[in-house]
Amino acid sequence: MAERIVITATGIISALGRGTEQHTGALINKKAGMRHPLHLRTKHAKEFVCGEVDYSNDQLAALLELPTGDNGYTRTTLLALAAMRELMGNTDTSLFTENSFALVNANTVGGMCSVEDMYPDFISEKEEGPFLKYIDTLDCAESTLNIARYFGLKPFMATISTACSSSANALILGARLIQNGVVQRAICGGCDALSRFTLNGFNSLKNVDKEPCRPFDADRFGLNLGEGAAYLLLEKESDALARGAEILAVFSGYSNTNDAYHPTAPSPDGDGALHTMQLALQKAGLTENDIDYINAHGTATINNDLAEGKAIERLFSSKKTVFSSTKPYTGHTLAAAGAVEAFFSIQAIQQQKAWPNLNFNSLIEEMSFSPVTETKEMPINNVLSNSFGFGGSNVSLIFSRT
Amino acid sequence: MMQPVYILSASIVSPQQHFEDSGFLQDIKEYAGGVLSVVEPNYRGYINPVAIRRMSKLLKMGISCGMNALQQANIEKPQAIITGTGRGSMVDTEQFLMSMIENEEEVLTPTSFIQSTYNSINGWLALQTKCTGYNQTYVNRGTSFELALFDALMLLNEAEEEMQVLAGCFDEITPDYIKVKSKIGYWKKPAPVNIELYQHSETQGTIAGEGTAFFTLSNKAENAICSLQAVKTMQDAQPVEVMDAINRLLDQHGLALDAIDVLLCGMNGDSRQQPLYDELADIAGEHTTIAAFKHLCGEYDTSSGFATWIATEMFRAQEIPGTLVIKKGSHKEIKNILLVNHYILNSHSILLLQNVQ
Amino acid sequence: MEELKNTLKQQIIESLNLEGMKPSDIDDNAPLFGDGLGLDSIDSLELMVLLERNYGIKIEDAREGRKVLESVQSMAEYIQQHRTV
Repeated sequence: MAERIVITATGIISALGRGTEQHTGALINKKAGMRHPLHLRTKHAKEFVCGEVDYSNDQLAALLELPTGDNGYTRTTLLALAAMRELMGNTDTSLFTENSFALVNANTVGGMCSVEDMYPDFISEKEEGPFLKYIDTLDCAESTLNIARYFGLKPFMATISTACSSSANALILGARLIQNGVVQRAICGGCDALSRFTLNGFNSLKNVDKEPCRPFDADRFGLNLGEGAAYLLLEKESDALARGAEILAVFSGYSNTNDAYHPTAPSPDGDGALHTMQLALQKAGLTENDIDYINAHGTATINNDLAEGKAIERLFSSKKTVFSSTKPYTGHTLAAAGAVEAFFSIQAIQQQKAWPNLNFNSLIEEMSFSPVTETKEMPINNVLSNSFGFGGSNVSLIFSRT
Repeated sequence: MMQPVYILSASIVSPQQHFEDSGFLQDIKEYAGGVLSVVEPNYRGYINPVAIRRMSKLLKMGISCGMNALQQANIEKPQAIITGTGRGSMVDTEQFLMSMIENEEEVLTPTSFIQSTYNSINGWLALQTKCTGYNQTYVNRGTSFELALFDALMLLNEAEEEMQVLAGCFDEITPDYIKVKSKIGYWKKPAPVNIELYQHSETQGTIAGEGTAFFTLSNKAENAICSLQAVKTMQDAQPVEVMDAINRLLDQHGLALDAIDVLLCGMNGDSRQQPLYDELADIAGEHTTIAAFKHLCGEYDTSSGFATWIATEMFRAQEIPGTLVIKKGSHKEIKNILLVNHYILNSHSILLLQNVQ
Repeated sequence: MEELKNTLKQQIIESLNLEGMKPSDIDDNAPLFGDGLGLDSIDSLELMVLLERNYGIKIEDAREGRKVLESVQSMAEYIQQHRTV
């Protein structure tokens, strides 16, 4: 039997703020972070509400003691560094120089947030200009490399990009690397910044809501975009105990499957989601009766919520398990969502509270039990967190109280 | 330490040949402009005919190559699909981005946006094979393919029963990409003819390439071409650290550098990374053949996929085509191949493969 | 109306890259989705863009769009009623 993997430190930045207190405060007090974007310069700023982080790029750079202006750091990287700085600040960093560790990062569009503005310069005849600093920042690994270099680290490095399930996958890889003896610890998570590319991309799919999103609601129209970054430190339970680290939760189960149904839509009866939740339970050695709270993927798109809702009801039919989507708080933070919501799941355990599903009025016709709409104080021993992405990527994670 | 896993089949689309061509680097193609584009196979028969009409070149290349690798191994449905790419579908990304800029964020079509997601090829392969198993995409520049292989290695070691994994990589070049990267010294100016690439190793820059490679892997040796013994990736490492890692890796497998039959090197004609390969050439003994491959496929994030295909062909044929040889060794057979590669942006990788016959 | 339908068929073929098809291959009343021409949800979004770009008709809700896009006949009728260009 493989040894248990635990989470001993976290770092997070999103529309709700920075760090644990700001996030749990917002969750408990039902204060969503959604508004019209100020930093993202899009034609659609007044049309859409987004979960934008309350810092400009210059403010993030200043916080990180980096030069401001055209410094070669994309917003994606700045968000990643801000979240990482919190995690590193809460950890004995000699752990990362003396022992082997992995850095598993995730994002969907790399530095597109910067590149999209400079692209005309990139492809022009200009050979000089501030745009040169960003010329290798489009791909997903640019933030991973920047994290390693900023903190002077030499980890086993990986970047995953599986759309909306990316950072959930990063957590799985971290756990497996530790269990297979490849590294002793793993920092896992993801980052994504708002970009015109993404906003317009999702808008072309006609599944972005101009109003705050309404997961699992009969009148839902689509998602709201968000941005942010979250990282979690994973290690073996015995290592955490040996160094007297605070254990925030056990990473007790996970699964990664594929819907194999359609490039962007889930199997309508939720077969894929059901399958992945069942496998995660199996991995954790738990049954559906052991799950106290489900942090759903719940993007509020027509298709996702119907499929996921059905899957939840099929699996948890005998025990009407408490569930909610926390995306009305932060927006859909894309690649960061898995890690952001893992953090929310861990805080549910720490606080012994299930988080409310905001903006809910009436249930999807095909469902029979509703999400929880108030912060619910209750015993929480096991939390299931779902992240489903384009390309049929389905990931479920389970976190447990120690 | 992890147990070795086995490569059952290998398939490529490259600037030299593709999976419908027979023979192993028999008809070497020369490229004079510093850009090596793939020779394309007939994609029909490998891809859903209704879907193919929307697909860009990279998607067609990657999906058909993956399907072909499965066909070669007589596998209808793998248990996992794992890929790596440095840049994903640049054509789709560029198309959506330019359309967004030109149309001022109005009236945009979704196809190129959807296809620009890095795991879209994975999604299609899962769809076509009805594979609901583990599915992962690594986008980590020069080590993207190696990470996919490493994950496959771990997954096959974790499996309690017989398991088959489809692992692969894909990357493409576009005129925009060539132009953009030329501004930061990626390419040699003027571009040499590809087959003369290593004669220009004292200047900076390289030549651009593209391609896709897919492999089926198993935790059982039956019908295997060769075994994958180890995969190591590094970032921002100095040549001395890479040499150290090579020696440790070989030591863990009971080997030393002078016992390696073929040392397949990722030298790309760029003087900045040449010192590592010069040192390897100096240390390698008489026994070892030193080979290079980037003059055939050009430089791109996942060129090690092409190199791994070359390794499988060398094991199969027990032959080394002359075009690959930098220095011929005295070894009689090809029992082991060590692939040492680097990518422009400071990554290195080491792969150890062994014959199973 | 006939001319509109013919133009529309050509535009559909181009926008969806239906290689090898001619307007005469598409029946006015044949279902475009599901069993008919076999188009899917992504195609329906592409067709909505076609309506906006060529005829100035903006459809916000993808589900509303699907009803309009049932066949070439239904599309042509909708265009005649709602076109702004």
